[in-house]
Amino acid sequence: MANTRTNAQQEEESKLGPRRVLPHLAGSAFIFLILAGLMIAFSILEGTAFLSRENFLNIAVDASELLLLAVGVTFVIITAGIDLSVGSVLVLSSVIAAQTMVALSGTDQQVQNFTYPNQAVGIPLGIAAGLLTGLVCGFINGLLVTKLKLTPFIATLGTLGVFLGTAQILSGGTNVPYVPPAIQTQVGTRQLLGFLPVPIAIGLVVVVVAILALHQTQFGRYTYAIGSNAEAARRVGIDVDRHLLKVYTLSGFLAGLAGIIDVARFNTASVGAHTLDNLAAISAAVIGGTSLFGGIGSIVGSVVGTFIPAVLRNGFVIHGVQPFWQEVAIGIVLILAVFIDQRRRGAEERM
Amino acid sequence: MSNYIRVGRRISRREFLGVAAAGAGVAFLGGCGGGGGQGGGGGESYRLTLIVGVTGDEFYTTMECGAQAAARELGADLTVQGPEEFSAAEQTPILNAAIQANPDAILIAPTDRAAMVAPIQSAVNQDIAVVLVDTTIEKEEIALAQISSDNVEGGRQAGEALAKQIGEEGKVLVISVKPGISTTDQRQQGFEEAIEAYPNIEYLGTEYCNDDPTQAASITTSTLQSNPDLKGIFGANVFSGQGAGTGVRQTGKKDQVSVVAFDASPTQVEDLRRGNVDVLIAQHPNDIGNKGVRIAVGYLKSDKEPSSKQITTGFTTVTRENLDEPEVKEYLYKAEC
Repeated sequence: MANTRTNAQQEEESKLGPRRVLPHLAGSAFIFLILAGLMIAFSILEGTAFLSRENFLNIAVDASELLLLAVGVTFVIITAGIDLSVGSVLVLSSVIAAQTMVALSGTDQQVQNFTYPNQAVGIPLGIAAGLLTGLVCGFINGLLVTKLKLTPFIATLGTLGVFLGTAQILSGGTNVPYVPPAIQTQVGTRQLLGFLPVPIAIGLVVVVVAILALHQTQFGRYTYAIGSNAEAARRVGIDVDRHLLKVYTLSGFLAGLAGIIDVARFNTASVGAHTLDNLAAISAAVIGGTSLFGGIGSIVGSVVGTFIPAVLRNGFVIHGVQPFWQEVAIGIVLILAVFIDQRRRGAEERM
Repeated sequence: MSNYIRVGRRISRREFLGVAAAGAGVAFLGGCGGGGGQGGGGGESYRLTLIVGVTGDEFYTTMECGAQAAARELGADLTVQGPEEFSAAEQTPILNAAIQANPDAILIAPTDRAAMVAPIQSAVNQDIAVVLVDTTIEKEEIALAQISSDNVEGGRQAGEALAKQIGEEGKVLVISVKPGISTTDQRQQGFEEAIEAYPNIEYLGTEYCNDDPTQAASITTSTLQSNPDLKGIFGANVFSGQGAGTGVRQTGKKDQVSVVAFDASPTQVEDLRRGNVDVLIAQHPNDIGNKGVRIAVGYLKSDKEPSSKQITTGFTTVTRENLDEPEVKEYLYKAEC
């Protein structure tokens, strides 16, 4: 794939050094305008039903899990890879986290009566178990890609099934019951400083760290370099396999974190859910300008790409648009957004 | 419907042209203002929202038909929403957005007992009356009422129907989805209770197909290998029944084995007509939707809670013989109203 790239594209990529963060952020400005346009439109149409602090907080909390997945997947796609397993990693992590919490917080009898004498130990350990699960899943993906030399598409398609199946085996296919409600009150629905819901706070921290990591550090430069031309990266002395292993592990870890948020928000591990999260995360990255061929992409773009469908869906429901038409409209908007963005980029590169 | 087409297009197209023209926001502003506004708006008609478990499912579509009919009759304005996937993660944003539109009442089929408690609580906190339809949540008491089929009774009817089909003797099998789902477990329980009354019926137990018709079919064919004299199968939900019918047909033992299946979607009715299954136990989703709207509007008008918070609806046993009778026909599920 790498050798089909144009000179213009490669020039564009070589510009993405640490001192180029600002111009790069400006590249996401257009897609951001689309998001702003949507928000203005719904504000005019629906008034305070849409344009309210509460609604925006809801949209952000609802999008928080997908946001983490999209950030992880963005790193992977920039290396010219793909991670189809993120939704399954989320589910497996949430199942393991929830079951650990239930098992450690009290005896079966106590838990079934909703009393949790040991939850001060059980909940943190459950969170740790879930995060560790994500980390391990991502590491496995990384090993399959680097050691077995499988194409990322096949490797993560395989683990998608393995991780989801494992989650179903562990949970018996049903949502995990008797999760301590404290995880929901203390994390899921808690508002920091009285206004900032924890899922949003986690999302913000992850986004800021990811922006810095991608645009300011060697880690980020390697990520772009490998995606632009893995062979060239190897020749200049970058340990490509080692770096890819880190990138896939990062994606798995963020999916595990999303799984924790899922348990905290819903007070259960939902085994049947998140089947389409992988595609949603990938499309968020692509809407945000990340190239599926690697070497190009930004975190800010992926954040905007996460929120465009979220805002559309929210606005459509408030407006009372029939569900099937919502799907059609969201699909069209995504295609148009990427199409216009690509044309604009193409025009810029020709200049 | 055509109204929706216009709304969808207008938002997307105008938006992009507006944004691309960069700064033509004012023109855009005028353009969207004309889009179909919030229905009703006045104080006289109540605004209700029905949020189904998953869109495009005939059970929920039929429920929607019943709700729409009641809303029309009572002069209420009903909007229907729902997720693409039967999951709390997808249903929650939709419920949140629906709450934002501040309807007078929300009818919802919760997708998870635990997960939907908090989002539904936030609707209740905003003084929106909530009626639970079909499924329920752990803190049921926060809702105005809960309306659903009595699944144990449905299972009992299935047991009676199958006993009658096989002449009250022989081996029978249940195919269900997976253990731990309250609705199918209750149907299985009711079925077992019913056939216990027949000493000549031998119960082979329950097999689980994970809601996969292919698995249900292979369970059927392999059971017929080990028990060639099998006489009846009860499929506890749509796919279990569909797979059982396919399996029986595959082994060429259609004349020997009777299949009773739950629900009555159009494809199931087609299966019944063609003889793949012999009896359908139809729930009454139409009634669930209808009663849900009536209870909500009744409460909004009188401010009095309904006398009973738990309301169950009945079943209709559908066979090839009674299929076209009007009192049976009205309970078959619909793909559109």
